[in-house]
Amino acid sequence: MKIYINADSIVTPLGFGTQENLAALCSYRSALSWHESSDVASGPMMMAEFNDHAIRLESKILNLESQYTKFERLVIMAVNDVLNQTHTDIADPSVGFIISTTKGNSVLIDHTAESQDGRVSLWKTSDRIGRYFGAANRPIIVSNACISGVSALIVGKRLIEAGVYGSVIVAGCDVLTHFITSGFKSFKSLSTKRCVPFDGRRDGLNLGEGAGAVLLSPNYDENSILLAGGCISNDANHISGPSRTGYELNLAIRGAMSEAGVQPADISFTDTHGTATVYNDEMESKAVTLAGLQNLPVQSLKPYFGHTLGASGIIETIVCAHELRMGTIFGTMGFEKPGTPMPIKVSAEHQRVKKMHHCVKTASGFGGCNAAIVLSVPQYAKTQSEPAPVKLRSIRTASVFGSQIKVGKRIVFSSKSSEFGVFIREAFKKLGDDNMKFYKMDNLCKLGYVTAGYLLNGLQFAPEEMGIVLMNSYGSLDTDLDHEKIISEQGDAMASPAVFVYTLPNVVIGEICIRYQIKGENTFFVNEGHETERTMKYIEKAMEKTNLHYCIFGWCDLIGDKYRAAFSLIENTEYNGNIGAGAGTEGSDTSNSK
Amino acid sequence: MEELIEKLKGELIAELNLEETTPADIDAEAPLFGDGGLGLDSIDALEIILILERNYGIKIENPAQGKEIFYSVKTLAEYITANQKK
Repeated sequence: MKIYINADSIVTPLGFGTQENLAALCSYRSALSWHESSDVASGPMMMAEFNDHAIRLESKILNLESQYTKFERLVIMAVNDVLNQTHTDIADPSVGFIISTTKGNSVLIDHTAESQDGRVSLWKTSDRIGRYFGAANRPIIVSNACISGVSALIVGKRLIEAGVYGSVIVAGCDVLTHFITSGFKSFKSLSTKRCVPFDGRRDGLNLGEGAGAVLLSPNYDENSILLAGGCISNDANHISGPSRTGYELNLAIRGAMSEAGVQPADISFTDTHGTATVYNDEMESKAVTLAGLQNLPVQSLKPYFGHTLGASGIIETIVCAHELRMGTIFGTMGFEKPGTPMPIKVSAEHQRVKKMHHCVKTASGFGGCNAAIVLSVPQYAKTQSEPAPVKLRSIRTASVFGSQIKVGKRIVFSSKSSEFGVFIREAFKKLGDDNMKFYKMDNLCKLGYVTAGYLLNGLQFAPEEMGIVLMNSYGSLDTDLDHEKIISEQGDAMASPAVFVYTLPNVVIGEICIRYQIKGENTFFVNEGHETERTMKYIEKAMEKTNLHYCIFGWCDLIGDKYRAAFSLIENTEYNGNIGAGAGTEGSDTSNSK
Repeated sequence: MEELIEKLKGELIAELNLEETTPADIDAEAPLFGDGGLGLDSIDALEIILILERNYGIKIENPAQGKEIFYSVKTLAEYITANQKK
């Protein structure tokens, strides 16, 4: 089954709708500007922020009432635009809806409130947006740090392939708030100038805001672009620092190319994450080289949009699809002097290239996650080899409830204390684990880390043959409140990087991946409930497509003194032992049966 | 200097969540980062920058600058002594 991108919309400070944004890029216009002061940051900042007046005007056109937050409005604008371009009836139960975001309505987080505004919760926000459209399905939230957008496209594709939906609307959005700007500032990762990805002068990223949306479906017309392959990996190295080798992003790129049936020589260009931090770009230059794409054009769109976080994967993918159609590779504006350890082909100027057939889009994020997809012009699509069939069974379970841990039905640990801090520390010690980093984790990570420890106890596997898919209902709210408390009581400048890094729920996956050396699929969903059936179908597709032997499937939720974890270890009993999705494609022609 | 070194050890243990580590466990001249020593990482380095700012009024804008300053508790104490304003 082939899945196509059939309609798209980009909403950024550069314009409302894809065409306005493309026109801006064609004339080298950037959404980034210097803000001496603003409502979303303390002190001056180079960023891509919406003009409130423009949003109000656009809201008026759509009759969007003030009850909707800026985040919700931007998602609604992008999705509305996509629905208007197609004959999709979102009230039809066969139409799925996915939203990717890192922080959603973070502006509403308030540690002084007795209970949080319902809209803080990502699944409740998604519910509001779903109800606005009268959608049959409540939007699924993918919160996978900065790969969220690319992740969500892969999730949408796989859910259609798995037969869960006939078509899927995938939207991505993030808006700038003090919460976000103070956190990135504490990481010293912001540049005061317009970012210059891959350049020797690069000294950090710029934050941006925006939304993007697409319709994915098996139908196509002359404007469709094929979403030919997708793969997600984890560095299993550090929760905030990128891999030193680029090997794992390379695995995701190879996995995506393998699914698409393409070889490096078929690729016209690679659109990277390209944030312009020293280490990200360094890692990407290595990954692009390992994947065999170093002699082909490489671009970053961050100098135009800034880093739009959970929206970036969607917005940038849409631009890539249009680049393939237009025969243009947009320049990485401002690039002058190569500055990455591995030489890659970056150009500041737009290039006209005739007959482009395929491109690669990548993303990398906190928690060590990487994602890559391949887009193809439909008439040049390669024949994809049929993946081997999978047969899944749950071979172990581990659960944490109250102050007990069960493996299967057996209680393997119980504490006299019901206080989480005491209980989890005792449970950790019982594991015989001497990882001192445990004490630096936030409570959500401690819960997931310990549960995974009891689940995996003694199991042998290769890094690439294990994946992990987790979900919960509170996201990272427990630590979000800590970060918000620090900046509201002590000021933005006192934001703690060791707290902020845990304001992304998928970092718990990152901690587990580092400890147990897991480098395969990793995705974090935020749902009201377990959604077991749908998620298992997703996992089955992910295991089939990326050739996994095992996958951890788990619920991991914590807020205040309430916590609950239930993990299941899924085995593919048909696993053929050819480790990983990208393995075997190097220098071989066998995956491409023209 | 000795007094400052002991104070710093306490601050590092508390702020960097170095549980099960006592001031006596920390060798003032051993490397703080990398394998051996305390095994601190890049996030810890950013937290130390915050400690310097909050407790000693010393600003370090460029984290790369921290490499020599943060080598050990002793180098940290020497830098604070030379630059302290608070």
